[in-house]
Amino acid sequence: MASIKDLTEFVIQADIEKVKETTAALLAAGEDPLKIINEGLIPGINEVGERFKEGNLFVPEMMMSAQAMKAGVDLAKEKIEGADIPNAGTIVIGTVAGDLHDIGKNLVSMMLDSSGFNVVDLGVDVPADKFIAAVKEHKPSIVGLSALLTTTMPAMKEVIDALKESNLRDQVKVVIGGAPVSQAYADEIGADGYAPDAALAVELCKKIA
Amino acid sequence: MEKLISNYSEQVTPQLKWVTDAQLEQIHYATLEVLERTGIVVKNKEALKLLKDAGCRVEGEHVWIQPWLVEECLRLAPKRISVANRLGERVMPLEKNRVYYGTGSDLPFTIDLETNERRTSTKQDVVDASRVVDALPNFDFLMSHAIASDTNPDVSDLHQFEAMTLNCSKPIIFTAHNAENTEAIIQMAAACVGGVEKLKANPYIILYSEPISPLVHTHDGVGKMYKCFEYNIPVVYTPGVLAGGTTPVTKAGCITLMNAEALAGVVIAQLKKKGAPIIIGGGATPMDMKTTTTLYGAPETYMNYGIMTQLAQFYGLPNFTEAGCVNAPVPDVQAGAEAAVTILMTQLEGCNLVHDVGYLEGGKTGYLPFLAICDELISMARYSGAGTRISRDHLAVDCIHEVGPGGNYMAHPHTFKYFREEIWSPRFFNRYHWEQWLGKDKETPMDKAVKEVKRILAEHQAAALPEGAAEEMQRIIRQREEEIRS
Ligand code: B12
Repeated sequence: MASIKDLTEFVIQADIEKVKETTAALLAAGEDPLKIINEGLIPGINEVGERFKEGNLFVPEMMMSAQAMKAGVDLAKEKIEGADIPNAGTIVIGTVAGDLHDIGKNLVSMMLDSSGFNVVDLGVDVPADKFIAAVKEHKPSIVGLSALLTTTMPAMKEVIDALKESNLRDQVKVVIGGAPVSQAYADEIGADGYAPDAALAVELCKKIA
Repeated sequence: MEKLISNYSEQVTPQLKWVTDAQLEQIHYATLEVLERTGIVVKNKEALKLLKDAGCRVEGEHVWIQPWLVEECLRLAPKRISVANRLGERVMPLEKNRVYYGTGSDLPFTIDLETNERRTSTKQDVVDASRVVDALPNFDFLMSHAIASDTNPDVSDLHQFEAMTLNCSKPIIFTAHNAENTEAIIQMAAACVGGVEKLKANPYIILYSEPISPLVHTHDGVGKMYKCFEYNIPVVYTPGVLAGGTTPVTKAGCITLMNAEALAGVVIAQLKKKGAPIIIGGGATPMDMKTTTTLYGAPETYMNYGIMTQLAQFYGLPNFTEAGCVNAPVPDVQAGAEAAVTILMTQLEGCNLVHDVGYLEGGKTGYLPFLAICDELISMARYSGAGTRISRDHLAVDCIHEVGPGGNYMAHPHTFKYFREEIWSPRFFNRYHWEQWLGKDKETPMDKAVKEVKRILAEHQAAALPEGAAEEMQRIIRQREEEIRS
């Protein structure tokens, strides 16, 4: 029978069927579902993330690996009664008001999701008050803001200001990104972090979560 | 008089076709299926009502368009759009196979001409780009190149337009935030040509607006377009995609989706106003699956554009494409190669409006001397595209006979008569013998381009505006700022 180690390899190979089969077999043999997730599935997706960052893997391959991991996690979850599934933290993310660009934001969301974050994606053209409401509801450790237009970059600052006004600023870390955004701009508006691409965005979130 | 022979086209220019007519039909049928089966989302209320009134099935914002309506609207859309410059001269008729080159808009970063550092773009960068485009002989139209980041974001589009039209009299393709700002820009343009009626008769501005892939037509995107049609201002309505992200990754799938968005735009336009001047196309860029950047200088992009242009020609509508727009972050060999290939191809294909010329880093960074280098590449492409003259005098048999075996042609009057048109001369590229080049301090094409740009910025003046126009534009900007504030 395939082992937990093989599971890691199947996630890397993005083989959804084998991940499902193996997870089911391991569960049937009485293996601890948490161990399957933590020692089989997660190490696989972590390795995929590493390879992507180094430029040895392409986006669609990473997405398929993430789906393979998810398929395994879903099966294992059914066996965990009541116990909390481990996650790396919650992040509320969105493209700020006036801005409709979402490809980069979606990529960041998907990669955070497959890295074990609980992602609440608010979509595009998200006004500050919607971010505030989501922070109150989901109590995330991180708020992620995306802007691709120079004209909508000030809306990032508005979200930070609104967090301050609602006395929520010290409960969350704010990370920002998008084509015209820079580290200098992050410093200027008092964000906690900036990342120029999705792989570095995950690294950043893991660091500050 | 020379007696022409029968069945002979004397001057056939080289042509580049990417697919056959039968393949174009397949794409067209696939497009019709997408519109009738998958449908589109329309977030603009007026367009939604017009589509419903035209008999489309509508559920909420979701609309399905029947093939007959698409065909009908294709028939109504103008095959020819006349575009003037700011001086009222009809310099840019958009007709099948007439090729025009221009810059792109809104680059967030600029490599500074003095410091060579990359920094945030400002209104002054738009001013400088406009003057450079006004002076460069092979640029036909202007887009803002840079973005005026240092102006009030609510009206930065108005500032960009002011900077452009003050400093360049060539036709302008502008971007705008919304319908209200579009109206303001139209009024600014009217002030520059002596009134709205004159602008309507000879528009020198074109709006660039876009649907959002996949298949979404936004409130503002359509609103801006409708505003323009009220004033007979032509509109480019083309999606900007990332194949593999917002469209299928296959080239044919990407093209089909973009074409569906463009044809939906034609329907939305013609239902608003019969004969509304709409320009179609689609920004056919894939996503780089390693870095997630937008691929502008890549083979897939120009392969897709080849077909997008043929599709527009198949429909007989003016089109909008792209060339000279590169992924290289700085103007190096990669930039030169990416720009040269794409510029030559668009020339040979007969695209109408070829924009984004001179974009670096996949549309994020600008450097003015690269525009000058691209000007040279356009000159080269146009020269090649003009084809090879094959007349009796060009075949030169008399001349060959006169010189005879063993002679030479250098001092022959035939050489003197033709050498300028038969051998292209660059402005910036080097052709020296090694020692000659040392004598020129190893000057590179880019060194010369930098010099030329600095000369233009020091000396060149655009044609003046009518009296009071500059003040009127400023008044409109202030008024719009106040409207937004209250
Ligand atoms: C595709 C595109 C569009 C598409 C968007 C489709 C969509 N669903 O998103 C369409 C055609 C709709 C569009 C519209 C417009 N666009 Co546009 N667009 C682009 C383009 C070509 C690519 C953007 C993209 O998706 N890149 C791929 C993704 C993967 O990269 P990314 O977004 O940069 O994201 C990465 C990082 O930035 C980072 N990141 C992103 N978000 C976040 C968030 C966090 C928290 C973190 C940590 C990291 C992070 O990670 C991502 C993944 O690696 C860019 C040019 C460019 N090269 O960037 C112009 C660009 C952004 N657009 C521009 C403009 C001007 C417009 C329009 C105003 C044009 C117009 N005429 O109307 C409209 C505005 C519409 C609106 N109100 O938003 C300008 C912006 C200039 C500026 N600074 O203001 C650009 C730079 C092009 C240009 N030079 O003109 N656009």
